[in-house]
Amino acid sequence: MTKLESSSDLEKLRKQIVSKRDPKRLCITVCSGTGCQASGCEKVSAAFQEELKNQKLSDKVEVRRTGCHGFCEKGPIVILHPEEICYLQVKPKDASEVVSQTLKEGKIIDRLLYTDPTTGKRIAHESDIPFYKNQKRLILDNNRKIDPKNIDDYIALNGYSALAKALSGISPEQVLEEVKKANLRGRGGAGFPAGRKWETTRNAPGEIKYVIVNCDEGDPGAYMDRSLMEGNPHLVIEGLIIGAYAIGSHEGFIYVRQEYPLAVENTELSIKQAEEYGLLGKNILGSGFDFKITIHRGAGAFVSGESSALMSAIEGKVGEPRPKYVHSSVKGVWDRPSNLNNVETWATVPFIINNGADWFTSIGTEGSKGTKIFSLVGKVSNTGLVEVSMGMTLRDIIEKIGGGIPNGKKFKAVQTGGPSGGCIPEKLLDFPVDFDELSKAGSMMGSGGMIVMDEDTCMVDTAKYFANFLADESCGKCVPCREGLKQICRKLGAISNGKGTEDDIKDLEDLAEVLRDASLCSLGQTAANPVLSTIRHFRDEYEAHIRGACPAKVCKSLVTYYIDPEKCLACGLCLKNCSVGAISGKKGIIHIIDQEKCIKCDTCFDVCPEKFNAVTKISGEPVPKAVPQGTEIKKKKR
Amino acid sequence: MEKSKSKFVGVRITDEQASILSRLQKDSRLSKTEILIKGLTFLDEFYSLGLDRKPLSDELGALEKEAFHYAAELRRVRKREEAISEMVQELHNIDEIVDKYHCDKSALIQILLEIQAKTYWLPKHTLMWVSERLNVPMSQIRQITTFYKAFHLKPRGKHLVRVCLGTACHVRGGPRILEHTERALGIKASETTEDMKFTLESVNCLGCCALGPVIVVDGDYHGRISSSQVEKILSSYT
Repeated sequence: MTKLESSSDLEKLRKQIVSKRDPKRLCITVCSGTGCQASGCEKVSAAFQEELKNQKLSDKVEVRRTGCHGFCEKGPIVILHPEEICYLQVKPKDASEVVSQTLKEGKIIDRLLYTDPTTGKRIAHESDIPFYKNQKRLILDNNRKIDPKNIDDYIALNGYSALAKALSGISPEQVLEEVKKANLRGRGGAGFPAGRKWETTRNAPGEIKYVIVNCDEGDPGAYMDRSLMEGNPHLVIEGLIIGAYAIGSHEGFIYVRQEYPLAVENTELSIKQAEEYGLLGKNILGSGFDFKITIHRGAGAFVSGESSALMSAIEGKVGEPRPKYVHSSVKGVWDRPSNLNNVETWATVPFIINNGADWFTSIGTEGSKGTKIFSLVGKVSNTGLVEVSMGMTLRDIIEKIGGGIPNGKKFKAVQTGGPSGGCIPEKLLDFPVDFDELSKAGSMMGSGGMIVMDEDTCMVDTAKYFANFLADESCGKCVPCREGLKQICRKLGAISNGKGTEDDIKDLEDLAEVLRDASLCSLGQTAANPVLSTIRHFRDEYEAHIRGACPAKVCKSLVTYYIDPEKCLACGLCLKNCSVGAISGKKGIIHIIDQEKCIKCDTCFDVCPEKFNAVTKISGEPVPKAVPQGTEIKKKKR
Repeated sequence: MEKSKSKFVGVRITDEQASILSRLQKDSRLSKTEILIKGLTFLDEFYSLGLDRKPLSDELGALEKEAFHYAAELRRVRKREEAISEMVQELHNIDEIVDKYHCDKSALIQILLEIQAKTYWLPKHTLMWVSERLNVPMSQIRQITTFYKAFHLKPRGKHLVRVCLGTACHVRGGPRILEHTERALGIKASETTEDMKFTLESVNCLGCCALGPVIVVDGDYHGRISSSQVEKILSSYT
């Protein structure tokens, strides 16, 4: 690779790459994000390569592994270019059919297309699928087009043009002004204006300044940062270099969780490639600006995602937060001014520089501009990563993009903002996604996890889940968080075991207040949100637990398993699968659960065939008396 | 005997021993760490010749003690010379990693992660060696290795079973899968079976929420599973 000496060199290179590529060339792209890898995409791309070799097409057709497409529910996703035919849930054994039918004969295989669940219509192009049609894919869009391991793919799609624009002719102050004007708010959770943060670091005293990418995505159920870092690392790197230029920093860190090995691998490779082209290092594009990036792998601590904790982890110390009398943008890593932003925030910067702040502010709401990526997961038909304009309502996201709740169940709540956020009930679903509006609903934007819950989810159990998670992840440095969370867990445990009292709810609210006001960092300050929001919107469920019933039939202590003698056909499935031998019965004889032995593992409920539905869960009602041992089943006409 | 302030691999040594050490260093032009590795190698050869242990020095003794402890931790019946030669090899590997990071103290977490990527867990002698090479007190290394979840201070089983308990998996029944796995293996989360075959871990989100509930064995993802499938999945790993 030759070093690029100027912006025109980059343009020349871009033209050269594009001219070499025939847009009409046949190409098979296989999504290789972690979701699709879990669904076996590696085997699929290997099968395609093998098949092309067998059919002697290897030199005519290219197989490319791309970043995450977002529609993880239907992975592995395969796209055939140039027609862009989209096949979903492709298996290795489908490869030969796809090559011989679609590639050679131009025939579309209906079975592999997306089927609209309402109309039953088959859809051949990704952009026409409702999941994608209702999104505004700005930042995620290139993920599906490029091979993250190949910098040329990124450059071909106008990559690093924003950097070239910034370095050749725009002053750092102007870049900063543009970002401030765009009102870009931090995508990591709190929504602090990025431009103002940059300005603080820029104006802070000290020659050496750092810029940091926070990819310590710890929120369970959120994985957009990983998909960007894995699927389009150069976009984040480009944003980081532009930010460093505006701030006057010459050294940057990318903090990635070690649980994201693919993200680490792709980022390392991208940095190397960018260095080889002279897009990183000394005198970038002949501008005289120097910048280098180091990757720091996180070692697994949720609290390390907090800015001051992350910086102390970069120093090689324990990732514990510190009081912020002085902001880390003034005194951060090694007490030097350090500007930290989330992956998505950095990835938005090149778009703002290329298209201008006015364009950016035309997207979104009054207070929140641009787009936001959410990971729409849980009890929703189309699980995946979705990117929408700020201001779209939660209802539209869940129903139009997510396809609603599967299996005809009823929606109960959507949890946003991870462990710091809250649960939003049905009546508030018309709230728009916007930093300020979500706070009003008692939740927060957070990093963008959106976990949908249906009637089978217990809200007390959910609150308990988050409280336990946070108690486990609390670093223990400050008393309110360490001890307060422990007490919250204890109270919630008692309620979910049916041993709670009305006073416990009051106590939970009091504890929550102390946590919010007295904790050292935002982990503790926001830790009570899941508890408070569930009490606020689902108080009836708490009260039901106190009376001894779990309405969603989740809390073990309050649930009894019972076989309906009217429905049991003595198939023996539950009996065979019961690991503690609590079920008695035999062929023709109604099965009975021995409540003394039952450990409530849910297996019998799980294996009882849907057409019988004989195993039921009972909560808060008396359990009917079991039929005498040896009662024969009623012969039913089927 | 008067207590000396000199320390070597976390072991307090006498002034006499310290002066022997400095003389050795001067004469052989070897670094402290090289001497120690050489000593340990020598100890290994010493045993393989069938000679009995003679006190060499406290620090070698400390490392040797670790070798026995290490062998015991592995729950394998091992000859001590084997354990020592394995340790020597490991210490050499650590040196390579430490040198790659130019003995930089701030790279401590990265160094430990990289060591663990090779050994799967962090035996005490590796920590002692890192402490020696980076000149970071053991207490700080202990603090870091117990704070971060990624570090394992106990040996790991042949197969790593991870059950996802992220929010998306939680609402889809992840906790029941974990309970079932615990029952099937007869251990609790973050424990290892007696036969060293399985280590069970619960994790907070693997980022493949579409497949929830998910269980991952050695990197193979098993998605959308029900508790009745757990045994079958586990039985395919021997």
